[in-house]
Amino acid sequence: MIADPTLAVLTYSGLALLSAGFGAIPVALRQRLPPSWLGWANAVAAGLMLGVAYILMAAGLPRTPAIGATGAVLGIGFLYWTHGVAGTQELDLDRLGDPAPDYGYQLLLVNTLHAAPEGIAIGVAMTLSPWLGGFMALAIAVHNVPEAAVLAAVLKSRGLTLIQAAGAATATRVSQVLFAVTTFAVVAAAPGLAPWALGVAVGALLYLVMAELLPHCYRQAGHTSIALVAILAMGMVVLLAAGAP
Amino acid sequence: MSDTTRVFTYALLTALATGLGAIPFAFVRGISPAVVAWTNAVASGLMLGASFGLVAEGTGHGAWETVAGATVGVGFILFTQRLLARSGVRLGQGRGPGAQRMLLMIIVMTVHSFSEGVAVGVSFGGGMALAAAITIAIAVHNIPEGLAISAVLRPRGASLAACVGWSVFSSLPQPIMAVPAFLFVEAVRPALPYGIGFAAGAMVFMVLVELLPEAFDRARRAPVALIVCLTLVAMVVFQQYL
Repeated sequence: MIADPTLAVLTYSGLALLSAGFGAIPVALRQRLPPSWLGWANAVAAGLMLGVAYILMAAGLPRTPAIGATGAVLGIGFLYWTHGVAGTQELDLDRLGDPAPDYGYQLLLVNTLHAAPEGIAIGVAMTLSPWLGGFMALAIAVHNVPEAAVLAAVLKSRGLTLIQAAGAATATRVSQVLFAVTTFAVVAAAPGLAPWALGVAVGALLYLVMAELLPHCYRQAGHTSIALVAILAMGMVVLLAAGAP
Repeated sequence: MSDTTRVFTYALLTALATGLGAIPFAFVRGISPAVVAWTNAVASGLMLGASFGLVAEGTGHGAWETVAGATVGVGFILFTQRLLARSGVRLGQGRGPGAQRMLLMIIVMTVHSFSEGVAVGVSFGGGMALAAAITIAIAVHNIPEGLAISAVLRPRGASLAACVGWSVFSSLPQPIMAVPAFLFVEAVRPALPYGIGFAAGAMVFMVLVELLPEAFDRARRAPVALIVCLTLVAMVVFQQYL
């Protein structure tokens, strides 16, 4: 265990960030990933995030439901608004071989925005308990792998080398570390903000699942396989979190 | 009135409350694709929120048992889907995939009420002092379930009366299961996390495999996502205050 909690947040979220690099492995193995793989990868990420949102809710919401809910509505509303402003509401995260220049920028923007609430989730979980913080970082780390794989596959199909694609896919997740450390520092200094941060993280994670991860993966693989993969990932999170001390 | 009769009567009252969930749909008539998508989104949020509550309760009794129950719940939906697809079912004016989805929704919500009925009986087993409070809490909790069922049935052409009827029907297992659970509390208690897990697994899987894909097919994804998330959060908070 790391004694200094801020250093622990930095280390955990940093490791979660680096794990995104593993996403390059499937991209390296296949010249061109089948679309169904990308669908399943997003379904894994969606299931893990739904599980994480549940864990955060169960851990923190019962104490202050009203503030938590207000925070959640803020988180949902903020992402809805940002997507509206950026014109990315209907953006698919996984269009292989689409050469449009706009698509590249939008993809990187959306991925960077996507990682921010995940950082908030790690930071706020750490303020609830070190165990929960570590668990959250682990769950986010695992979910980074399929998400980075999807992004790296798309970038590679646009002509980047494997190293460039993997590097860019990892770099978009730097916002996780930034938001994890900032959230932890702010909430540690002002504990009254904890339920707000928790609510924002839960709302934003739910919105990311429903607006970014799930919609398009149903088109890339069968409904049944997507639903099975997602619920399996969700069940794993619930089961593992039940082992909390 | 004996305690057993009271448990049955109270649980029956909570089942009737489910019908109240159909009332907002007195005003929904359109069968436009977007309306189906949005009401699907409402049902999804309600069912996911309810499942989060169930999972929290179930893992309190035992995490492995809950997940085992959820696995059976997923299997049950898969099995029923195949069965319905093969039978060429008709419901009211609907037929084909629409009718299958309506029927599957009724089946899921009805089957999930069995384990809720057990939970009701067990909670009465703690003594009848809190009976009135528990009854009101469960009755209020049932209204969103009627809402979820009507959200799926109504835009596909079911009449308001049919929505009320099927909503109440879906909760009838509650009084039926509450009585034996109340009488044999000690024997039933260990089975509770399995039942709760089953209900949660079946509902989450129903959302993931039927309601969400259809919603994303028929409308733009941003409003669908917005409705699902806001309904989910509202449902979770609603349960917290009961």
